[in-house]
Amino acid sequence: MMQTPVELKKPLAKRRMFPKVKISRALLNILLSIYGFVTLYPLIWLFLSAFKSNPEFYEFPFGLPKEWHWENFADAWNVARMGVSFKNSFIVTIAALILTLVFGAMAAFVLSRFRFRGRAAAMALFLLGMLIPIHSTLVPLFIMLKKIRLLDTYGALIFPYTAFELSLAIFVTIAYMSSIPKEMEEAALIDGTGYWGFFFRVMLPLSAPALSTVGILAFLRFWNDFAFALVFISKPALQTLPLSLSMFATGYMTDYRLTFAALSLAVIPTIVVYLVFQEQVMKGMVAGAVKG
Amino acid sequence: MTAKARIRGVIIVGLLPALLVFTFFVIVPILWSAWYGFYDWKGIGAMKFIGFGNYLEIIKDPVFATSLRNNLIVVAASVFGQVPIALALSLVLRQSTLFQRIIRSVVFLPMVLSSVVIGIIWGYIYHPQIGILNSLLEWIGLGSWKQAWLSNPDISMYMLAIPIIWNFIGPYMIMYIAALQNIPSEIEDASAIDGAKPMRMLFSIRLPMIWDTIKVTVVLCISGSLKTFDLIYVMTGGGPAHSTELLASYMYNNTFSIYRFGYGSAISTSIIIISTVLIAGSQLLMRRNTR
Repeated sequence: MMQTPVELKKPLAKRRMFPKVKISRALLNILLSIYGFVTLYPLIWLFLSAFKSNPEFYEFPFGLPKEWHWENFADAWNVARMGVSFKNSFIVTIAALILTLVFGAMAAFVLSRFRFRGRAAAMALFLLGMLIPIHSTLVPLFIMLKKIRLLDTYGALIFPYTAFELSLAIFVTIAYMSSIPKEMEEAALIDGTGYWGFFFRVMLPLSAPALSTVGILAFLRFWNDFAFALVFISKPALQTLPLSLSMFATGYMTDYRLTFAALSLAVIPTIVVYLVFQEQVMKGMVAGAVKG
Repeated sequence: MTAKARIRGVIIVGLLPALLVFTFFVIVPILWSAWYGFYDWKGIGAMKFIGFGNYLEIIKDPVFATSLRNNLIVVAASVFGQVPIALALSLVLRQSTLFQRIIRSVVFLPMVLSSVVIGIIWGYIYHPQIGILNSLLEWIGLGSWKQAWLSNPDISMYMLAIPIIWNFIGPYMIMYIAALQNIPSEIEDASAIDGAKPMRMLFSIRLPMIWDTIKVTVVLCISGSLKTFDLIYVMTGGGPAHSTELLASYMYNNTFSIYRFGYGSAISTSIIIISTVLIAGSQLLMRRNTR
């Protein structure tokens, strides 16, 4: 009895508010579009400037290029010797990626499937790795790499990258592997498949979503790393992309077309990966943000 | 028995590679770093034990004080810039329409760019002669505001905080959106039926329910800000005259430019201590606020 008027009031109030809500929503979307454009602008400016000539860059910093100078990219590629740095970044990233995935998956398998003495200690140790600021290890790592003669080799990047990515890789994969039912393991063992057969044939394929998240995240981190490359690599022939870019940008400060073309070429791979794997990148980075 | 031995074998083989690489390249360096902090050492030659000498020097070092102050500016800019902006964005972008997803992707995009590229681009934006910030000011009639943004010590640190904020809003926004979507719809519906206005809903329901997430992001902001290095190195190198020096860049310059390995190690250890203190402090403050 009492509820009828209340029920009536609600839709009425809502209908009256409706146009107002619609207008404010439209206004909000316009504001959001402006915000998005401003956020994206540095990147738009980068790509547009890469097509301009030097005088045009200086005189007309905004707006589209009058003539699209595609040759800027070829020139930048040659002058900045980007072939070499792309190759180095590729080798280091892929090698560290493989080590991270293999070692990480193996450790996650053991830690999620078996209960044993020392398990808690191992977990705590890997957790510590998530909390340590990377820069605080630069000095001792430099000295250590020098002592074991790894300094100025691919190994000087591959092993530290792997080590610092392992914590995250292990925790993300453990969370996933723990959700795989125990019965599958028993079934596999009864069928005569050993533990490693079970790992390779059942666990790895089933954990593919977690491993791909780990892999994409690791790719971006290794590909973009600057601090380790700066400290551990001094031979020009071994410089990775971010390192050689920073050197190039300092040396060719005033050759805007070359600098911007080189920067554009360097960001294209990461933007492609981002566009293809957006969801996983976002999810992974949020998980990885815990490590920072 | 054989089954047990087999399991032990699996455990050892599975765990050993990760454990070895991790211990050797992460744990051992941390311990060494703490130990080097007690020595006067140029990287080569004899190491001289000086106890807490490096730490006493740190306390008196004016450049360390500047670096710490600058770092606190970055921390404040992150906590009071990134958190509110990300929160506001998450509130209006939580419905996942196509338009909202596109804006989300755009906001997140800077996260996948190399910090070197970000540093170089923003260096050109701020450039005194060819920078687009100055061009823009001229264009809208504020030509008198034009200046060398990164060489004026009064403002350079704040100008550097802008790309840092721009860079890291994305993940916080995503975390807030996930938290907001986790609020059971019954609670929001119930409060709507009780007549809660949007503002009341925000402060009485949504913010309290995602408070734990906000706490986590504040911790991430602090620890992340203390690690800022690449951007500063690329954009100013800590200059002019140490005015934009941060703890991490000061550590780098001491160690690898003037080869004071012991002092650099002591700064590294100080960074860990300062970051722990700040995080614990912020957690205490935020706990009191909820009561």
